[in-house]
Amino acid sequence: MSGQSLLNNASSERKKLMRNYSTGIYIHIPFCIRKCNYCDFFSVPLPAKEYLQRYTNALVAEISQRAHEGAGKKIESVYFGGGTPSLLSTEQLETIIRALDDNFRLPADMEISMEANPASLNARKIQDFTNAGINRLSLGVQSFSNDDLRVLTRIHSAEDVRVLIDILHSQGLENFNIDLIYGIPGQSMDRWIKSLQTAADSSPMHISMYLLQLDPGTPMAMDIKKGRMAMLDEERELEMYTLGREYLQGRGFDHYEISNFSFPGRECKHNLIYWQAGEYIGIGCGAVSFMDKSRFINKPDLKAYLYAIENRQERPVEEIEKMSHKGLIADAIILGLRLCSGINMEKFRSRYGIDISREYSEVIKSCSQKGLLKIENGQISLTRKGYFLSNEVLCQFIA
Amino acid sequence: MHKRIRNFSIIAHIDHGKSTLADRLLQITGALSEREMREQFLDKMDLEREKGITIKLQPVRLKYSSKDGQEYILNLIDTPGHVDFSYEVSRSLAACEGALLVVDASQGIEAQTLANVYMAMELNLEIIGVVNKIDLPGAEPELVKQEMEDVLGIDRDEIILISAKTGAGVEDVLEALARQIPAPDNKEDDPLQALIFDSYFDSYKGAISYIRLVSGRLQKGDIIRIMSTNKEFEVMEIGVLSPYMTEVQSLSAGEVGYMAAGIKNVNDTRVGDTITGAQRPAQKALPGYQEVKPMVYCGLYPLENNDFEKLREALDRLKLNDASLFYEPESSDALGFGFRCGFLGLLHLEIIKERLEREYDLGLLATAPSVVYKVILTDSSEMYVQNPTRWPEPQKIEQVMEPYVKATIMVPHDYVGAIMELCQEKRGNYLTMEYLSPQRVMLTYKLPLSEILYDFFDALKSRTRGYASLDYEISGYETADLIKLDIMLNGEIVDALSFIAHKDKAYYRARAIVTKLRKIIPRQMYEVAIQAAIGNRVIARESVKAMRKDVLAKCYGGDITRKKKLLEKQKEGKKKMKQIGQVEVPKDAFMTVLDIDKD
Repeated sequence: MSGQSLLNNASSERKKLMRNYSTGIYIHIPFCIRKCNYCDFFSVPLPAKEYLQRYTNALVAEISQRAHEGAGKKIESVYFGGGTPSLLSTEQLETIIRALDDNFRLPADMEISMEANPASLNARKIQDFTNAGINRLSLGVQSFSNDDLRVLTRIHSAEDVRVLIDILHSQGLENFNIDLIYGIPGQSMDRWIKSLQTAADSSPMHISMYLLQLDPGTPMAMDIKKGRMAMLDEERELEMYTLGREYLQGRGFDHYEISNFSFPGRECKHNLIYWQAGEYIGIGCGAVSFMDKSRFINKPDLKAYLYAIENRQERPVEEIEKMSHKGLIADAIILGLRLCSGINMEKFRSRYGIDISREYSEVIKSCSQKGLLKIENGQISLTRKGYFLSNEVLCQFIA
Repeated sequence: MHKRIRNFSIIAHIDHGKSTLADRLLQITGALSEREMREQFLDKMDLEREKGITIKLQPVRLKYSSKDGQEYILNLIDTPGHVDFSYEVSRSLAACEGALLVVDASQGIEAQTLANVYMAMELNLEIIGVVNKIDLPGAEPELVKQEMEDVLGIDRDEIILISAKTGAGVEDVLEALARQIPAPDNKEDDPLQALIFDSYFDSYKGAISYIRLVSGRLQKGDIIRIMSTNKEFEVMEIGVLSPYMTEVQSLSAGEVGYMAAGIKNVNDTRVGDTITGAQRPAQKALPGYQEVKPMVYCGLYPLENNDFEKLREALDRLKLNDASLFYEPESSDALGFGFRCGFLGLLHLEIIKERLEREYDLGLLATAPSVVYKVILTDSSEMYVQNPTRWPEPQKIEQVMEPYVKATIMVPHDYVGAIMELCQEKRGNYLTMEYLSPQRVMLTYKLPLSEILYDFFDALKSRTRGYASLDYEISGYETADLIKLDIMLNGEIVDALSFIAHKDKAYYRARAIVTKLRKIIPRQMYEVAIQAAIGNRVIARESVKAMRKDVLAKCYGGDITRKKKLLEKQKEGKKKMKQIGQVEVPKDAFMTVLDIDKD
């Protein structure tokens, strides 16, 4: 090898190492007015308002403790998830965002998203939140049918949502998402179409439509098991998915991830970080971080979390995955294939050093034959048929 | 010294407490310290401990100081209690001069025990009667004693009452062993004759043979000769099991021990064979064992096609201490290369399969078991068919015969009606009924072997609340109206799923099996049609709808780990499937042909 190409190699190695894959910050607010019967995220009923302040203080302390983790990273998004982060007061939200800016130096134009329960917002609060820096809202609408909302034990009504959406538009906060759920027990095709239509008519920039999938531990799963309600059959679920996809595309939305749709350029930046196998810093009780080939979680135990932070002890954190290079590759494929554009194989090769099409030729061949996977213009991606059968494909890439 | 050797085995029905009694004997004679003691010590296989049954006999040597001031050497050769393994019992008995007959104080004599006692009597063994579990509520030791006297002619006054669990009476058992069982004949000066009654393969020492010396002496370094093959080997190690392997300098007539002679080939150390000295060989071999014929056959196929050789090696090794195991290579369109294996019964099949999977780390698929049918063709020639795929074309069949057994069933008289009903359902012919006592009845029936193989025993137990016991022996072939049923997936016959059924039951079984297959074949990319056919005539059909949904709707930063676990599980699940054409079939589907009667 000549001296020149050696040099080139070394510098491209360094470039690879130094390339900044965007990093996200996730803030978990684990409180809800009431937990929904289908939810399996970590959340607890809000005991008393004072608790939110205690929790805010703890978040600020953790943020400053972990400032060093942001060194050399390019922070591209902040996402407030929950629970119900919209339960925070304006002052509390401001305090947290200020702490983030002080410790991680947030770029001016970055995406700062917040999940919100339609029942927990009003015109005033939206105004204040926007002033504090929130520039994207994700609304847990779920359905525009009150019958569906009752089955889901949501605390808001379809009317609450309509009012809220008017406020958003009147205040110029156009960058919002509507979450919808389909496959709800008792949901008819008509009801689903109506929800889709109303959602699109509300002119959001982004719509997520999720198939209702129950964790066995949830109260709703128990109801199903006991025969008190029944899930729809999978033929119907697929019909709903296909209909939703075609309808939203017809209304100008891009289908960009298995369950996500947006107007061009309005994808959720934060979630793209997950699907592009980027790093993220999770702050708050129950939050997961992925840094330096490891996933770790702030243990979902609120008392222990608050006690540790308030007493300046080490926060209760647990490593849940330490990944080999092979594991990283598997993750990147499993996550990347969720995106409709799939994975650019050339970029993948320069990032992970493997040629997907060669390394997984058998799997690719059999999945392509089944019509689930395709390779086009250097991109490997699921086919339309493949989205709703994606586990068939993804499980074969597991390390 | 041979005058104080006592070689004995224990005859007992499953659950009558044989292994517990063996534990107690080990403890009382000090063979094991408290620390070393664990339950069912002589049941070496995990499988035995899990199932609570004894499969393989495991010899042990005990030292007992009798009340007469002498020290005796007691060689215990444990026996299995299940009907599948009556052959193993005969191996144990042939190496002994006496036997302990252990009967449960609340259950009484069971059919299988009876058969084994008769076997011991034929071999002229001294039999010591023991009634166990006298400490349990419901124990009726006096009644059981009476039954033992009436049925077996054992003097009721000599029967020992014990509780192996608490240890009560166990000393008396040791004493009786020392006093009543005759010493082996003193033939130390005769040429060597040693009976191989068991053997297994050790990766370091080669084959280890458990032997009973009938005459002569054996020393380390001796050159021995295997009488059936005339091959010679040098003895590398001899020893006794007390209960751990303990090397000794020599063994002589009457003693029981083990021998390693660097024997690598399975065929050179067959159970039942006789070992003699190369210098001074015996004139004749000891009476060997009657060769056992497998009664039930099935195909065993490696899930990984590459494991075929590994499976062959594993079978070779198991054959070493299980002469009743039969196997030959076969191939199936659906399953590739595997072995047709013959077994003594279903438990035997299950145990061999589990041992292959556990001890040799093989993933196996078993096809439905079949008995050996005798088919007389139109050209008057005969053939034996133990694999449904070899069933001749219907137009070439003149007559079909299937093996029948004579079954002996012992049961409290309240259940006679239930038993008769069951035997009727199973195409049985009533032979006799006899009262053993006012409460207990012995029924004999002639039944097709294929009917009792499947679920007869379970049905027997459940219809008599566990009180019935069963023993059977092959009685010969009888004509029967049998046909071959084929199962098709998406129009292709899956040869490994074909089975033979009685004509009257064919429709019902076809219906049951396609329904069952519909339940266990998971949804796939394409719809799967399941059909059952006799020749070209489809008599039952079902279909598995194509899979429509297999997706994780949400996957975000916080739950990637959990979602991946679901995918991992799914990947693991795929390994339990066998790809047949385009269809993924769960490996246990091939046994469903059996299970349908249970539903």
